[in-house]
Amino acid sequence: MSHRRRTRLVAAGGLLLALFTPPLVTGQNAATDWVWTLPKGFPVPHVPVDNPMSASKVELGRHLFYDPRLSGNGTFSCASCHEQRLAFTDGRARAIGATGEMHPRGSMGLANVAYSPVLTWANPGMKSLEQQAIVPMFGDDPVELGLQGQERALLQRVSADPRYRKLFAAAFPNGQELVTLDRIVKAIGAFERTLISGRSPYDAYKAGAPRAISAAARRGEALFFSEKTECFHCHGGFNFTGSSNFVGKGFAEIEFHNTGLYNIDGKGAYPAPNTGVHAVTDDPDDMGRFKAPSLRNIAVTAPYMHDGSIATLDQVLDHYDVGGRTIRRGPHAGVGSTNPYRAEFMKRIGFTPREKLDMLAFLRALTDSTFLTDPRFSNPWSHR
Amino acid sequence: MTHQFPSGRALGAFLLTSTLLLGVGGAASASPPSPTSTADAPMHRDSLVAIALRFRGVVDTAAFQCGTRYANIGTSKASVTASDFRFYVHDVRLVTKQGDTVRVALSPESPWQDRDVALLDFENGTASCANGTPETRDAVVVMAPPNDYRGVAFTLGVPFARNHEDLASAPPPLSLSQLFWAWQSGHKFLRVDLRATAADSAPTPWVIHLGSTGCTKATPTATGPASCAHPNRATVSLPGFDPAKDVVIADLAALLSRADVRRNQPATAAGCMSADADRDCGAIFSSLGLPHPAGTGNDSPRFFRIGQRAPVSVGASR
Repeated sequence: MSHRRRTRLVAAGGLLLALFTPPLVTGQNAATDWVWTLPKGFPVPHVPVDNPMSASKVELGRHLFYDPRLSGNGTFSCASCHEQRLAFTDGRARAIGATGEMHPRGSMGLANVAYSPVLTWANPGMKSLEQQAIVPMFGDDPVELGLQGQERALLQRVSADPRYRKLFAAAFPNGQELVTLDRIVKAIGAFERTLISGRSPYDAYKAGAPRAISAAARRGEALFFSEKTECFHCHGGFNFTGSSNFVGKGFAEIEFHNTGLYNIDGKGAYPAPNTGVHAVTDDPDDMGRFKAPSLRNIAVTAPYMHDGSIATLDQVLDHYDVGGRTIRRGPHAGVGSTNPYRAEFMKRIGFTPREKLDMLAFLRALTDSTFLTDPRFSNPWSHR
Repeated sequence: MTHQFPSGRALGAFLLTSTLLLGVGGAASASPPSPTSTADAPMHRDSLVAIALRFRGVVDTAAFQCGTRYANIGTSKASVTASDFRFYVHDVRLVTKQGDTVRVALSPESPWQDRDVALLDFENGTASCANGTPETRDAVVVMAPPNDYRGVAFTLGVPFARNHEDLASAPPPLSLSQLFWAWQSGHKFLRVDLRATAADSAPTPWVIHLGSTGCTKATPTATGPASCAHPNRATVSLPGFDPAKDVVIADLAALLSRADVRRNQPATAAGCMSADADRDCGAIFSSLGLPHPAGTGNDSPRFFRIGQRAPVSVGASR
């Protein structure tokens, strides 16, 4: 039996990662000016020991996140694919990079990414935001921000801006060099950790306001947490995903599941290159295994699935209703519900029309509109 | 085997009772409860010793391993591969040679156990168990007055007072989302996920999630249920168990002995997720000594039994 946890760097950014590998150790917050203001019942996120939170670092990271100078041709920033109003997704089935190249997968939402023990759709080795930020910046397969080979130019561009010199000095008061790649990704990571969403109508309901969500949403909640649907097995916990980590949890849980979205050869195959964890490990048992994303703000993050191949939430429910999607014709034709790698909890549900509406009402009650408009997460350059 | 616990550490008080364990065999029942038992074991905290109660996950005679296919399982003699094997225990009691039952405190050992509940974990996050955790645990450590114990009892599950906490603020070992069910019904007391293979079929899931069901809230937004119609906490008594020599065997073959893992009652969970209406649960509940409408009675075999530890140098381990 081969090792399922064997990890290999993805092609994108692989060389740079070898030169730049932030420690993966996570731990308690170091003593800083930082105080988490968390929604009721939310645990404290892990913060890497070598990148403690601070207000000035978060502010620097916010500027970098929204700055097109972080792309090779000056047209794209992190925010180009991670828009606040869409819970930091981009509304596209698959992302498009600075040079127009299409990514095989869709941009993931960043809400509550601080709690994610593993990042991106299906890479068991991608465990820190600092490590991950390198991939869109310098990756060439596909090109995202398109900075490959431009490390020096990037640092010069950033250093030349007096506003950045002030921001870096405040965020990193010690050390000889002011602007470094290490500091850039640390600041972006610190900003991303503040993107916490937990003030949806459902949260108000859980906190004791019975009328905060509709009767339909309450029925949908009961369905979601029932053995009829089994939704909660993979989308459980405060963040509606099985993969969550936080201070004091004691265990890191990382899950990947095959939901029967494809079965193009009758033996369970997903269309390349999106074969899930398999693409990283080459282990046949990892075919089609992807991370179950958080369902918070799910109503604003269409289209759905790793490749955006389902347009609406309604159709997502259809996929789960029959225990896996059937594609009748074309190169991806196949019966997903007979995928041999399909997760244990995928089965025919058999929603009534009213149950489907109730499920939709529940999922829509997870939209945190304060998160989508919070000025702390907005573009700092547009207010100049 | 036993280790002196550092003195001065405040530990939960243990109760010394003279209650006989249910199910103790003839010889033990013959000795009457000792009226002087309290005096015999003075309750000085400093005198408590840590005792590790060893558990072993097996499938019949084979040690449990993720990714291994086990043959001859259940009434249909199916082959199964497991992807999870974890359970919680609480309310541990030891029985002295004299037949006195001593309720013992769990020794807090984060993340595996706190004062109320302990987690046993036989999956190691590899192979078929890839969605699990790399860490494993095969012991429950209790604090007990020094004595020669010849019996153990415990309850399979999470105590009601801790079962319905908010998962996000629950400390380990109750922080695992994979062992959490839903905030109304609480935690999975026992999780065993299987895929059953037969000559004529592809592997099909058959899953055991034991937990409380029929839990109703006092008010719509109450933080936890007022009660559960079916608590489903199994009491396990193993008379004669010698903590120094024996091991508690948790045997998946015995757990599944009455079940047909190649079949699933239509319109119910795949396997048994503790529903009263799921007849597949009858076979599983009977192996745990729990009541169920489709139960097959309380005859053997049971999921838990006493086994011998692997032969080790007893002198060196003392």
